[in-house]
Amino acid sequence: MWTYIARRLIQTVIVILGVTLISFSALHIGGDPTFLFVPERASDEQIVEARRRLGFDRPLYEQYASFVINAAQGDFGRSLTHRRPAIEVIGDVLPATIELTLFSMIIATVFAVPLGVLAALKRGTTTDGSIMILGMLGQSVPSFWLGIMMIMLFGLDLKWFPISGHVPLLDPLLAGDFATAFTNLPQSLYYLTMPSVAVGVYSLSRNARLVRSSMLEVLSLDYVRTARAKGLGEFAVVVHHALRNAWLPFVTMIGLEFGFLLGGVVVVEMVFSWPGIGRLLFDAINKRDIPLVQASVIVMSVMFVAINLIVDLIYARIDPRVRL
Amino acid sequence: MRLFRLALMASAAIAGASSLALAAPADDTIVVGFGADISTLDPGEIGSRSDANVAAHIFTTLTRISESGEVTPNFAESWSVSGDGKDITFKLQAGRVCEDGEALTAEDAAYSFTRAADPAMEFTGNTPGFVFPSIGYTGAEAVDDTTLVVHMANKNSLAPGFLNEVYIHCKDSYEKLSKDDATAHPVASGSYKLKSWTAGSELVLEKWQDPGNFTNIVFRIIPEASTRTAELMAGNVDIITNAAPDQLDAIDASGSAKVQKVQGTRRMYVGFNQKAKFDTPGAMAIKKADVRRALQYAVDVPTICQQLLNFTCERATGLANPPHDNKDLKPYAYDPAMAEKLLDEAGYPRDANGVRFEMTLQGPRGRYLNDANVTTAVGQYLSDIGVKTTVELYEWSSVYVPMIRAHDAGPMFFLGSGGGLWNAQYDMSDLATVDSGPNYTEWNDPRWFDRWADITKATSVEEEDKIVNEMLKVFYDDGPWLLMYFQPDFYGVSNRVSWTARRDEVIELNEASLAK
Repeated sequence: MWTYIARRLIQTVIVILGVTLISFSALHIGGDPTFLFVPERASDEQIVEARRRLGFDRPLYEQYASFVINAAQGDFGRSLTHRRPAIEVIGDVLPATIELTLFSMIIATVFAVPLGVLAALKRGTTTDGSIMILGMLGQSVPSFWLGIMMIMLFGLDLKWFPISGHVPLLDPLLAGDFATAFTNLPQSLYYLTMPSVAVGVYSLSRNARLVRSSMLEVLSLDYVRTARAKGLGEFAVVVHHALRNAWLPFVTMIGLEFGFLLGGVVVVEMVFSWPGIGRLLFDAINKRDIPLVQASVIVMSVMFVAINLIVDLIYARIDPRVRL
Repeated sequence: MRLFRLALMASAAIAGASSLALAAPADDTIVVGFGADISTLDPGEIGSRSDANVAAHIFTTLTRISESGEVTPNFAESWSVSGDGKDITFKLQAGRVCEDGEALTAEDAAYSFTRAADPAMEFTGNTPGFVFPSIGYTGAEAVDDTTLVVHMANKNSLAPGFLNEVYIHCKDSYEKLSKDDATAHPVASGSYKLKSWTAGSELVLEKWQDPGNFTNIVFRIIPEASTRTAELMAGNVDIITNAAPDQLDAIDASGSAKVQKVQGTRRMYVGFNQKAKFDTPGAMAIKKADVRRALQYAVDVPTICQQLLNFTCERATGLANPPHDNKDLKPYAYDPAMAEKLLDEAGYPRDANGVRFEMTLQGPRGRYLNDANVTTAVGQYLSDIGVKTTVELYEWSSVYVPMIRAHDAGPMFFLGSGGGLWNAQYDMSDLATVDSGPNYTEWNDPRWFDRWADITKATSVEEEDKIVNEMLKVFYDDGPWLLMYFQPDFYGVSNRVSWTARRDEVIELNEASLAK
């Protein structure tokens, strides 16, 4: 097990170093990065001085080494647009993205199991067909388009949900302000509903199909037939015998879901004006705020890689064959 | 049963939340939906239009620019210029205070200048980055509580107008603030103070002194245009900026809001890059003024405006915004026959394939209103007269901006440049010197650049205007821009409020009120 953990950790470090290399290159791809840090009408002397002060006159390998060392300490430099340390700017918006990702994940899992089981139990019927068609639609529709359509229908026409905005939940929780978190809870959930559905519907559809196929496979096995032959009720057969084995592949998928959903929130955050890291990244790219782009990409990558690592380690613990 | 009860409670909570969240703004509150985020409220760092539109309500300025483009008094009641034109003495209002009770005097005004100019602060905002270089600022000093003198290296008649972008703040308050604190915790000298700021979401200002008709101003950040439109139509937002052209009819038909279309001050043009590195036959051709003039006739600008921008525009005659443009100049007509005739005369006849020369036209994608289609249309118009044009479109921030700033875009490139309402020279200062950053075409005609010295020596406004008009005539005849249009701006305004959009993208809410 320890060998496996060490091997996975080394792989993780290599991946993160690769991401830092790509992020570092982003600063230099557009030419001399000094121009990003000086006013447009800066004199030649000002530009030379800024280049020296910022260290852009040093060899690239030296600059990269400094970049990695600073990044490891959470220092990505100051955001060019926010005029604050980039990591602080990200710290402000990260809780909103985590809220959205977690809530989307809940939607993608909680509804997927009953829908998948129902489709499997009603195989070949209209119910099964309807769920599978909806599943296919859910996987086909781009999340931003779905978001806009939901805004038009549920926000503008029916006025059931707010069109955009965010009420913080995780922020007060992290600050230990439980009273505010509790007060905000109903509105937070209310504001979370439409964006979470827009983000989570793809995963929900995929998961429902996965549960269905997994259930179909298990339901045809001998031990299920034996359970029925023993006279167990259908509910007990499905929940206690079939589902317990059928959702193993699904549970594996849930672990990887977080990273997938994290990537999916970028566009949806734009559509719903959700003040998260995806929107921040989009804005930073548009404004050429390279330190903020680098910090956002690296933070998102580290989160993704870390979650994958944790899932792999848990899976290795559960199923020793993985370690081989 | 327990599940059912839980579901019921959740529904009740959400229903309760919905009754709170979907309420329209209160009568004492006006809500503005911005497309771009607000990044800083430090007076020395403010650079973007969104930041400036918020800051203008928090900080006072010496002067302001009226809707009609006049420089009018603000914190400064009046001003006078020294004999050599290098010093401006401002007489300031007495009895003003900052939000924290500190008196706002000339000493604070002088500090506002010196703080912004302090190299140790490393500010890159509009005040140190644009205003000070433009006026040749050398220092500021307080003579007494209500008298401020601003020193410049040279005479500059535009200085009072430029200074509307210098935000005045209290010395004692800001000396105590760290740079990071100054970014997010401004101490107001204007009529509104910061009440709350949720990064990336919304910023709320609260009125604490006159002027201003609303107690609260809420700036909401809504990046997606269709979401802004939906919020406006739902009555949750009173004013939206940058409404998308394809949604204007929906706003007008909503019954809850109307579109205000204004011809903005941003000059849209196609640059003829003169840089030596461009040496293809086509690039060499556009280095000749008569070829550039011929190409002006090839493009149907009013049709581009109508078809691609959903706006009726008049073609620009130069880089100065009306009403400070040269009134003797008439927009180039769309006359492809004339274009072909002039190109023939310039020595560029069509060859056997109908081609005069080949050209590359570059443009951004997604930066300006319908920019990709406008660039493509210009390319087609040029191809129609035998200039075989290849259009190349680039992502704005990471590819196009570096090319533009290095003067490497082209040989022809589509671009916009922000302008002002109040003086032609402000707009012309893009081309203040041959080697200035915004001279993206590296144009070097001495009939233009040598005249800046003449303006400095002019002894009257009339004389200055005469020189300006002569320069604009040179630009019109032989300039480095294929003249296009001033980019229209579309605002959505709720029927609940009375507010009029300005041409210069300034959102001023002091005069806004509830509609009667």
